[in-house]
Amino acid sequence: MVNEYDNLEEFEAEETKNKLPAGWLILFWGLILWGIYYYAAYSPAVSGWTQEKAYEETLKK
Amino acid sequence: MMKGELYRRPILFAIVATLAVLVGSIVTAIYPIFTEQMHPKLEALKPFTALQLAGRDIYQREGCVNCHTQTVRPLKTEVQRYGEYSKAGEFAYDHPFLWGSKRTGPDLARIGGKYPDAWHYRHFEDPASFFAESNMPAYAWLKDERLVPSSVEAHMKALSFPYKNEEIAALSVKSELDALVSYMQVIGTSVAKRPVAATTHVEVAEESHLQNPFAGDAQAIASGKMIYADNCAVCHDDDAEGDIGPDLTDDVFLYAEGDLPDNDYFEIINNGTTAGIVEEGRRAKGGMPAYKDVLSKDAIWSVIAYIRSLQEKK
Amino acid sequence: MNDYQYDNLTVKGFITSSIFWGVVGILAGIWISIQMWSPSLNVPPYFTFGRLRVVHTNILAFGLVLGSLMGTFYYITMRLTRRPLLLPKLARLTLYLFNAAIALATVTLLLGMTQSLEYAELEWPLDVGVVILWVLFSVNILGTVIKRKEEQMYISLWYIIATLITIAVIYIINNLSIPAGLFKSYHLFAGVNSANIEWWYGHNAVGSELTMAVLAIFYYFLPKSTGMPIYSHRLSIIAFWSLVFTYLWTGAHHLVYTPLPDWIQTLGIAFTVFLIAPSWGSVVNGFYTVGADWSKMRTHYLTKFFILGITFYGLQTVQGPTQGLRVVSQLIHYTDWVPGHVHMGTMGWDALVIVAAIYYIIPQIYKTEIYSIKIANTHFYLVLIGQLIFSVTMWFTGIQQGAMWKALNPDGTLKYTFMETLVKNYPFWKMRTLGGIIFTVGMLFFIYNIYMTIRRGKELIASGAQEVA
Repeated sequence: MVNEYDNLEEFEAEETKNKLPAGWLILFWGLILWGIYYYAAYSPAVSGWTQEKAYEETLKK
Repeated sequence: MMKGELYRRPILFAIVATLAVLVGSIVTAIYPIFTEQMHPKLEALKPFTALQLAGRDIYQREGCVNCHTQTVRPLKTEVQRYGEYSKAGEFAYDHPFLWGSKRTGPDLARIGGKYPDAWHYRHFEDPASFFAESNMPAYAWLKDERLVPSSVEAHMKALSFPYKNEEIAALSVKSELDALVSYMQVIGTSVAKRPVAATTHVEVAEESHLQNPFAGDAQAIASGKMIYADNCAVCHDDDAEGDIGPDLTDDVFLYAEGDLPDNDYFEIINNGTTAGIVEEGRRAKGGMPAYKDVLSKDAIWSVIAYIRSLQEKK
Repeated sequence: MNDYQYDNLTVKGFITSSIFWGVVGILAGIWISIQMWSPSLNVPPYFTFGRLRVVHTNILAFGLVLGSLMGTFYYITMRLTRRPLLLPKLARLTLYLFNAAIALATVTLLLGMTQSLEYAELEWPLDVGVVILWVLFSVNILGTVIKRKEEQMYISLWYIIATLITIAVIYIINNLSIPAGLFKSYHLFAGVNSANIEWWYGHNAVGSELTMAVLAIFYYFLPKSTGMPIYSHRLSIIAFWSLVFTYLWTGAHHLVYTPLPDWIQTLGIAFTVFLIAPSWGSVVNGFYTVGADWSKMRTHYLTKFFILGITFYGLQTVQGPTQGLRVVSQLIHYTDWVPGHVHMGTMGWDALVIVAAIYYIIPQIYKTEIYSIKIANTHFYLVLIGQLIFSVTMWFTGIQQGAMWKALNPDGTLKYTFMETLVKNYPFWKMRTLGGIIFTVGMLFFIYNIYMTIRRGKELIASGAQEVA
């Protein structure tokens, strides 16, 4: 019996020429931009938003 | 085929991976530990007593945290249902935090002082006797389990909570259920109850000595009876002659002879009682929960009409 | 030509042990699911919901999943490094330690010894044992990788190394405690800190054990069993590093609207939403890999396990970040929606990929074929249906609960008492039990299939047709 070794060629046939899918790249960078926006919008130090203030707002309605 | 030196050098790879893992960990978890905003403490907050800590240990042991949360979110309906939203400074002695992640049962952040001890004893012994469709397991067996004072003392020491020797000695006659109830009654009590002004209908009742608009109305009495059965019978008994809560059909009100007018009934049902508040010169012992966010104004008046109808029958 | 060349006995030991613990954990799950709608099934003191629920989560997370991961990590590492394990005897020792740890975990949790930290309930003496076990395991794997005979490290090895490191870091820090007796301790951190550290741990226990580690398996066994090479190496690299970097920032999404400082919550949510990108990097990679030849879905029975698995991973990693958003969290947090979410990940993604790996490994070790592809297909459809019933019913009832908790009468009072919202769950909880039972029956088909494969392999060996593996 010969022990079967893994041949890495099986896993990734050649240096994959496949480009990154455009849709995925848009998702990747889009979410980074959104994250920056969200952090700014909901951080007391940046926008002054706090969950207590948001709560007081809902009481006024 | 695979390019990149990094993927041929496992030690270097492991170091880079460790750094990648540590950045977020340090910023969001480790660094905050050393900031002041993560160590607030309310002035009214006290360390747990030996009996309360023993109760908290049992709360942990029985996995209560799997079904009950202990944190009220700053959301309008949530504050209405449970009480004032949770503050960071309430939890300075909570090793560990017991906020939980699932409300199979209700939140307990404001359970302390909401009901009298007797309510808790009976509810723990047989939850279904209060709420027929409740899925909470019965904990009657805790009555027969004695506390072990020496181990409670070791726990107090581990947490550096102050205690007196008599306090530890007194534990030997206490059951685990005593401890658990004592813990229930302290949860969330370091935060002052939100002033009653937050509600709208109490002001109406206070300002004008209103009469019950439904007094004697047969339809209101009928609906009051239903509301009573769902909300009040648990403590005041089916015939309203009192059980955990006082008799509602006699001539005693807030532990003094002589009945009071409808608007006082309204206030008590609406706002509940806390120990020590004074109403028409009478001192409350506490234990009546507030129904202002559970029952509408009309529903409360209907219940009062129903109670009056019982009193008249006597 | 060395029996010990591949330490198959240890691998097999981990797989069979993990299947055993899986049965224990799943039965505990069915039991607690019935307790939810029939409280008379609570048998105090040891078998109440409060104690059994942690047995269910711990035994499945650590007994079934961690056990099968340790087995498959040994298996994968040996083959990708082209050498036997560095310390085979130590590997065998970890198998015994693992089983002792899970057995003790079961007993101590039933006895009510718990730190009350989700997924870190085990008391401090067991934590010490677990850390020792993890260090021994990591030393063996890393040592084997360092002394490898294949120059390149394949993607699966990256995820394995990342898993070893992440679990070590989070487990040790979150379990720092003040001992107050042999089986009692208190979290070193109090209040808000305790919550923040616990959920940093809690979310990354999921991130490492149920995500990174399962991706290691996915990236190895998908190409291995189907013969299709991974679509894009570049995508693998970017997805790996962004996933490993991002995960550790996200724990606070479990603490939205708690007294935790707003900036930590916001940071946690922002990173959580970004996590969609690295997660979907692997999803896209998986789909495009099989996309080279979709007929494999029909012709090769394991392909559908991997593809459905990665699909549920994809759904999970969109649903999770959505739940983190404040507006969604308001409605569904603390409701049954969350167990629905968790079980799509565990029963849909993790379980499908892990059983596929086991279907591949066992015949390899015994130099035979799987006993019955038909039974494997039956297993597949049963666990798929069971899982969908479970998740979908929990989403429905979760949204219903959340909405009823918020509902107001026109005069501003709450519309429903808590009891009124609770009883509405009962029909859905019963459906969930049904889903769980269907899933369990599916798993019994799997166990029978594996058992018969092993039996046939042993017969072949006994008849001399095969050498001892």
